[in-house]
Amino acid sequence: MAPRHPSTRPRRLPLLLLAVVLLLPALVACGEASSPTASSGGGGGTTPTTASGSPGAGGDKGVIRIYSSWPLTGSSQKLGQDMVDSVKLAIEDRNGTVAGYTIEYVPLDDATAAQGTWDAGKEAENANKVVADPDAMVYIGTYNSGAAKISIPILNVAKMAMISPANTYPGLTKAAEGVVEANEPDVYYPNGVRNYCRVCPTDELQGAVAANWAKELGAQKVYVLDDTQLYGHGIAVVFANTAREIGLEVLGGPEGIDYKAPDYRALMTKIKSLDPDLIYFGGLTDTNAGKLVQDMRAVGMTDVMFMGPDGIFNDDFIKAAGPAAEGVYATFGGLPGSELTGKGADWYRKFKEKYGHEPDAYAAYAYEAASVALAAIEKAGVKDREKIREALVNTKDFDGLLGTWSFTETCDTTLTKMSGSQVKDGKWTFVKALEAGV
Amino acid sequence: MSVLKVFVPWGLTTPERRRKAVPFVVVVILSLLYPLFDQAVGLNYIDPMVSILILVLLALGLNIVVGFAGLLDLGYAAFFAIGAYTAAFLTSPASPLPYGTNFWVAMLLSFFVAMLFGVILGVPVLRLHGDYLAIVTLGFGEIVPRIFLNLEDITGGSKGINPIGKPSIFGYTLEPSNPVGWYYLIICVGILSIFLINRMVDSRLGRAWMAMREDEVAAASAGINLMRTKLLAFAMGASFAGFAGSIFASRFQFIDPFRFDFTISVMVLAMVILGGIGNIYGVIFGGIIMASYDRFFAERLTGWFHTVGTATGIDLLTRIDLQNSRLFIFGAALILTMLLRPEGLFPSRRRAAELHVGEEEPEAFAGGQPVLQEQQTLYDVEAERTGERP
Amino acid sequence: MDQLIQTLLFGLSNGFVIALIALGYTLVYGIIQLINFAHGEIYMIGSFMALTVITTAGVSWTDPVGARLVVIVLALMAAMLFAGSINFLVDRVAYRRLRRAPRLAPLITAIGFSFVLQNIGIWWKGARPLQFPALLPPTNILTDWLHLDTTITFSIPMLFVMVVTVPLLLLLRWFVRNTRLGKAMRATAQDRDAAALMGIDVNRTISLTFLLGGLMAGAAGLINGLYNNQVVFNMGFFAGLMAFTAAVLGGIGNLTGAVLGGIFLGLVGALSDSYLQAQWTPAIVFAVLVLVIVFKPSGLLGEQVADRA
Repeated sequence: MAPRHPSTRPRRLPLLLLAVVLLLPALVACGEASSPTASSGGGGGTTPTTASGSPGAGGDKGVIRIYSSWPLTGSSQKLGQDMVDSVKLAIEDRNGTVAGYTIEYVPLDDATAAQGTWDAGKEAENANKVVADPDAMVYIGTYNSGAAKISIPILNVAKMAMISPANTYPGLTKAAEGVVEANEPDVYYPNGVRNYCRVCPTDELQGAVAANWAKELGAQKVYVLDDTQLYGHGIAVVFANTAREIGLEVLGGPEGIDYKAPDYRALMTKIKSLDPDLIYFGGLTDTNAGKLVQDMRAVGMTDVMFMGPDGIFNDDFIKAAGPAAEGVYATFGGLPGSELTGKGADWYRKFKEKYGHEPDAYAAYAYEAASVALAAIEKAGVKDREKIREALVNTKDFDGLLGTWSFTETCDTTLTKMSGSQVKDGKWTFVKALEAGV
Repeated sequence: MSVLKVFVPWGLTTPERRRKAVPFVVVVILSLLYPLFDQAVGLNYIDPMVSILILVLLALGLNIVVGFAGLLDLGYAAFFAIGAYTAAFLTSPASPLPYGTNFWVAMLLSFFVAMLFGVILGVPVLRLHGDYLAIVTLGFGEIVPRIFLNLEDITGGSKGINPIGKPSIFGYTLEPSNPVGWYYLIICVGILSIFLINRMVDSRLGRAWMAMREDEVAAASAGINLMRTKLLAFAMGASFAGFAGSIFASRFQFIDPFRFDFTISVMVLAMVILGGIGNIYGVIFGGIIMASYDRFFAERLTGWFHTVGTATGIDLLTRIDLQNSRLFIFGAALILTMLLRPEGLFPSRRRAAELHVGEEEPEAFAGGQPVLQEQQTLYDVEAERTGERP
Repeated sequence: MDQLIQTLLFGLSNGFVIALIALGYTLVYGIIQLINFAHGEIYMIGSFMALTVITTAGVSWTDPVGARLVVIVLALMAAMLFAGSINFLVDRVAYRRLRRAPRLAPLITAIGFSFVLQNIGIWWKGARPLQFPALLPPTNILTDWLHLDTTITFSIPMLFVMVVTVPLLLLLRWFVRNTRLGKAMRATAQDRDAAALMGIDVNRTISLTFLLGGLMAGAAGLINGLYNNQVVFNMGFFAGLMAFTAAVLGGIGNLTGAVLGGIFLGLVGALSDSYLQAQWTPAIVFAVLVLVIVFKPSGLLGEQVADRA
């Protein structure tokens, strides 16, 4: 060891560091708050945000609290924030009051900082917290179907209405052979009644639509990849099964990629040797879809088509893939924001005006989920969980931003209109409307 | 054998034993009274506590491996996964096994299955030293969840397994919506674990671990069978992860392979070190503090700033939004804690004594500047330095 | 046959990228035996710096070669300096205070810094993957330059990765073996107290090692960007894990070993991706790793004290 200087150096440095450390994020936060594109209010968890436009016009019958639960940390952060902003817009559009009640909105985070993805403990905690709040009437969430598997039963016992903008795993609401487990969906409803609905189309619809579209686009030989996650793998399995049924040749897969890996060129070399017309990837922008496309082009598959589900239908995918994104196809369970008319167009314009960027595909679903929830509160007219739950599951002919639709018996959307888009000149461009064959 | 002595009732016959019983009793009383305190203050911290205590249970097990025996294990989550999947297979109607086992039986079996895997994985690798062992355990930590993910026909793959058997006592079933019940269950298992671990540490086996940790060569020449001693540490550590895994599975009624990734191994390791390596109570309290940074402090900080801002009228504070900074806050908290307490929040007395021969104060850092001391190593760095192999 | 050669080539290139990160890793690792979980994040920060320089300069692959080269060199300097000074600062602020602390205390500090740096990455570039502009031409050397009739691709970026790594390795080896500072590093690695008694300023030597390791991480950040064309705030975690694995696999503190370890990991990964199912790749990489270490307990090349830095 180097000769020690006997002079005592008091622990000033850590304390200084402490000050800097605590101030730095604060400064960053302030800087962000002053910029116009910044999104306001994160899920601090303790402070409810009243999204009321005019405080004076608040309801006189009291407060109804709406909670949401999805990751607001880590790689889903941007998406989560878009969804939160979208819910806020929905509440604002009703001036913060429904049926005489002031609506308060509390966004909860179901991810931990360290893990960055949803955490079982946090999700259960959020569900229990909402159940324990007497003012809580609706739970909007979750983003991940796995997280919903934990919270649906907890909320079901409390007869709390739950509505998801993003869960696409079919087994949460319905049986689908070969795709879900035998005990699903009953296992989630110990109470026997349905309390859980969703506004997005499930994997087996979107996967099938994608396969049909692939055939229409002239693909004969397809290769199926996925990110091994519940969403990506589920939709890839459906795509592969449907593709076989409608006479496409499935060269391989669904094969799971390691989405943390930095490179897929070797994998793409194997796929290239099989000479496919189209590669389908069940996954998200966040699970490395961009790199996959780049590597597909890099090994020389320049005229092979690449298709993905709504998880890659966002501008960030194009930023991740760069020029390689050109020509990539994506399906989406509704019409894209820019194609919407009426209410939808209104929402799209407002979102862009207020937050200064294109909304993520899931932001539209989040708005729809919040609107349906508010409509259910209005229809029930009272602050009663059971009544609101009943109103929600019986939603019929809802005139929303995705179109006019109802909830089915299993509380899925009746909406079968989907859309196919393609990247052209560095932008997602609407190609055609697709119909789910149910 | 020495392992069996663990189960000898704890006779408080000597002053030494009475002295040691004090912290144990304190922990028991504190933990039993905590829910009352929580309710009285309105903290609403029971539910997060359940998640945190599951991690603490893991940390107690890892402390045997890292803290007592000095073996660096970077893939501890593998045993957590094995415990959870054992419980799930045994109790879930969705599992490939034909009958549903009672949760309590499954929990006990998880303990032993995890121990078995500890032995299986331990035998080939325990002759490795230091970081070679670390990297191999890291490998296991990556391989095991991957196997659960890919064997979709058996484990359900990314769909996971649910529901999982719930524990019931006298006809009363513990539901996932009952955090206080789960809290007490984990406390009971935790107290049992502490008791067992305490007995182990005091046994011949425990002394062998310490001896081995400090000097392998000396321990071997004193007649300690290194291989067996290490293997026992590895297996015992793994078995407590089995406990934690079965409770985790049942608490949330659903598991999938992504619950057991490398982050868990890292978090639990951090809990052990931050708490005070080798000190059971240090690991418990340090673990709670550390997990609270992640699950509570970082998230609530924004709210606290706002409250303070509103109360004091400082506008700046009310506009702070730290949602984007949670990882930063957590990381900074870890760094600061280690800088201020490099030996952990609650260093082990015995280790401190071993490390500060000739010093009166176990608090070597009391004066601010670390006093010149023997360089402490977790394991035998000396052998690596020179490339010698015993 | 072509597929095998192609796979091996891709594996080799990936291996060289891992090796680049591992070189910086093993420098620090060799001297203070710190499992530096933050090294991957230093590498990430380096690549973010490079990306910032390139996007600020606004060049793309359509610009003339000269302009691109200038920007690449600028980006390389910026990334190296930035990553190097961050690594130096981290050591100065935190690790140095823990030199005499229990060995695992710096490990937790490193984990802490890894989180802090990741969060800085999120502030800087957002949470989603970003494309890193492909400034190197994707020209296939075999068909376009050598006019061979083959389906195998060996492109300029692949050549670039390999060509850059080898001289860096040689340079580092020379530095560690022949310079005064290198000797000081080796002495410090062998016995810190004895080195201090010989008049070596141990703290300064270690600080310099961190600086050097950071410079290497920054270079790796740019080179990975140019080769893999993708950056994301959490890319360092996986990279750090791989670098650590490569460093241990090659023999602790062994520079050549770290490169070989990286190549080995790259090859195993590529072969598994190409000939087995990709979902098994991580498991297979680590299974092979476990086997190698169990049968060769001191790494591929063994620990070379002479090389240790």
